[in-house]
Amino acid sequence: MFRVLYIEDESEIGSWVSDVLREKGYEVIWLTSGDKLNQYLSTVDIAILDIMLPGLDGFSIGKRLKRENADLPVIMLSARTAVEDKLEGLSFADDYVTKPFHPEELVARIEVMLRRFQKNHEVLHMQHLEVYPKEMRIIDKHKNEEIQLTGKQFYLFQYFLQHANQILTKEQLYEGIWGESYMEGDKTLMVHIRYLREKLEVNPAKPTIIETIRGIGYRVRA
Amino acid sequence: MKKFFRSLLAKYMLIIVLALSIVQIAYLLIAILITGVADNIESSYTSDEMDYEQIEEDWHKDANRLKTEADISRNFDKWKDQYPDASMFWVDQGGTLRVATEERNDLPTEWTSSFTAKFIKDRYGENPFTVIAFVGEDDTDGFVVFEINRDVFQKPIQMAFNQYGSWLLIGTLFLVIFFIFISFLFFRGIRKRLLQLQEAMEIRDVDELPIQIDVKKQDEIGQLEQTFNQMVHELRKSRVREQEEEQLRRELIANLSHDLRTPLTKINAQTYKIAKQNVSDDAKQAIHALEASVEDIDKLIENLMSYTLLMASKYKLDRQEVDIVRFARERIATWYPVFEKEGFEINVELEPLHDSVWHVDPIWLGRVIDNLLQNVLRHANNGRYVELKTASINSYDAIVVRDRGSGMKDSSNQKGAGIGLSIVDMMVKGMQLDWEIQSSHDGTTIQIKKNIKDEK
Repeated sequence: MFRVLYIEDESEIGSWVSDVLREKGYEVIWLTSGDKLNQYLSTVDIAILDIMLPGLDGFSIGKRLKRENADLPVIMLSARTAVEDKLEGLSFADDYVTKPFHPEELVARIEVMLRRFQKNHEVLHMQHLEVYPKEMRIIDKHKNEEIQLTGKQFYLFQYFLQHANQILTKEQLYEGIWGESYMEGDKTLMVHIRYLREKLEVNPAKPTIIETIRGIGYRVRA
Repeated sequence: MKKFFRSLLAKYMLIIVLALSIVQIAYLLIAILITGVADNIESSYTSDEMDYEQIEEDWHKDANRLKTEADISRNFDKWKDQYPDASMFWVDQGGTLRVATEERNDLPTEWTSSFTAKFIKDRYGENPFTVIAFVGEDDTDGFVVFEINRDVFQKPIQMAFNQYGSWLLIGTLFLVIFFIFISFLFFRGIRKRLLQLQEAMEIRDVDELPIQIDVKKQDEIGQLEQTFNQMVHELRKSRVREQEEEQLRRELIANLSHDLRTPLTKINAQTYKIAKQNVSDDAKQAIHALEASVEDIDKLIENLMSYTLLMASKYKLDRQEVDIVRFARERIATWYPVFEKEGFEINVELEPLHDSVWHVDPIWLGRVIDNLLQNVLRHANNGRYVELKTASINSYDAIVVRDRGSGMKDSSNQKGAGIGLSIVDMMVKGMQLDWEIQSSHDGTTIQIKKNIKDEK
């Protein structure tokens, strides 16, 4: 069970979000200010911070958290929507959600963050595949055998999982994996995606794991 | 008073006074110098000896007393002792040149009466100074002549002047040139400083404001520089004040929007709780409508905030080189799930443009595209179609957003779209782009255009 540190001074919103998260199976530590933060710091998996708080504001708390543990995902959850605030928030935090929000959206973002920071080691069930994110083991349930991915295929699939449910453009994928800027017309990425599909998909000609979003890019749903 | 002595006026007056006093001092110096020189020049005669009238009287007196030739010679010797520069001779009754102190080639030995008359006429009042006196009491023994060059009788001052006159002229000339030179230096200095001041005034700091000038002197130009610095200081102060006001306004709007959104979030919280209960279908629909309204209000607040900032020209514009195809693709990628959820057909055709790199603010352009897609989602959802493409058309490149809704003219469906489009308008124009709406009952096409000729 994941422990979520949630700091929110509005009791109505705080209790609501806490309830929603508990329903989704998270353990929630809800504080109304950053005062008693220290005792929970070492045990939490993710932090969700409001910005306008009594005492230390959310920016300061978030920066402190990141300084002490860069591996702790931090999501800012605020009614401040100005570009300046978002930019300041995203200068250290991993995500910025504005109020009002849908609880499902928040939960989805928490999941993305947990996966990106590789804290979520639960088995993922993707159609005929079983994925163990910690060891990056992929089991084909139909054939009951492990799928071995090589080099770039492995990084490509890992990148998709870390950005699950997000549509990734070919530029983002190429730059995320190869670490250099994408040149228009470069076929390298397409070739690797084809190899990956040949290994993962039941029917590589009609891929369902790695979806093609026409005109935009690719998406893996998890 | 202290101020006066530092002024240019004082300096100029000093130069004038100095020039005048130099002339006076020079006079004095020349006088002293010449007298000094004159004292040093040895004169062979006393001033009494140089009295022409006295000489004439004495010569006549002596001539009256002469009787014999020996007397005449003795007399000549006596005069020669006193006036070594003088020349004397005696012409006797018969007109013969007899005793002469020097050999005289210019004089005849025999004097005719006409030559004598001519001689007297020539010498009258001329140089050499000549005295002619008859010998003896009864004037029967001819006449004796005394000649002396008038030059030897010159006063020492006159001699000194003759000797050093050219130096004096050179000195005067030098003084005049010196004065002109000093004046030239003085005015050149002023001119140089004025030009430097002008240049310094034209220099701009990174914030486009002029920079302060280093004030070195306390004269009129220095005061001008100080005044300029004062102005720069005031400009900076007002700039800071303006920035503070801007900051304050931004804070105010940000706080206002924050305070409006917090209760909206609370409404969301409560509707969520209600939805959790076992409620009727009618209630579920009501909750859905409530959630949709909350979302609408949220977008309206956002737009109102942007609109206010834009109207006050306080929305920061930071233009960069942006690859527009890539930018549009990443934008639609974030919108895709939303349209997908609403069951839209999504058509994306993003091909490289004539020039895909636009000089725009990515945040602004993002807002423009978001607003257009938001409008499609909210106000053209009956068409269930959205299209985003890039196209090079004739003289311009464009981003095209198209829907198959019932069009903008169907105003009952357009509430809330207005402010979003106003923001699009202001932002597009702010980035020096163009845009165009074509709307009919079959749908709306919006193009954000960049003129190809605009580049470079």
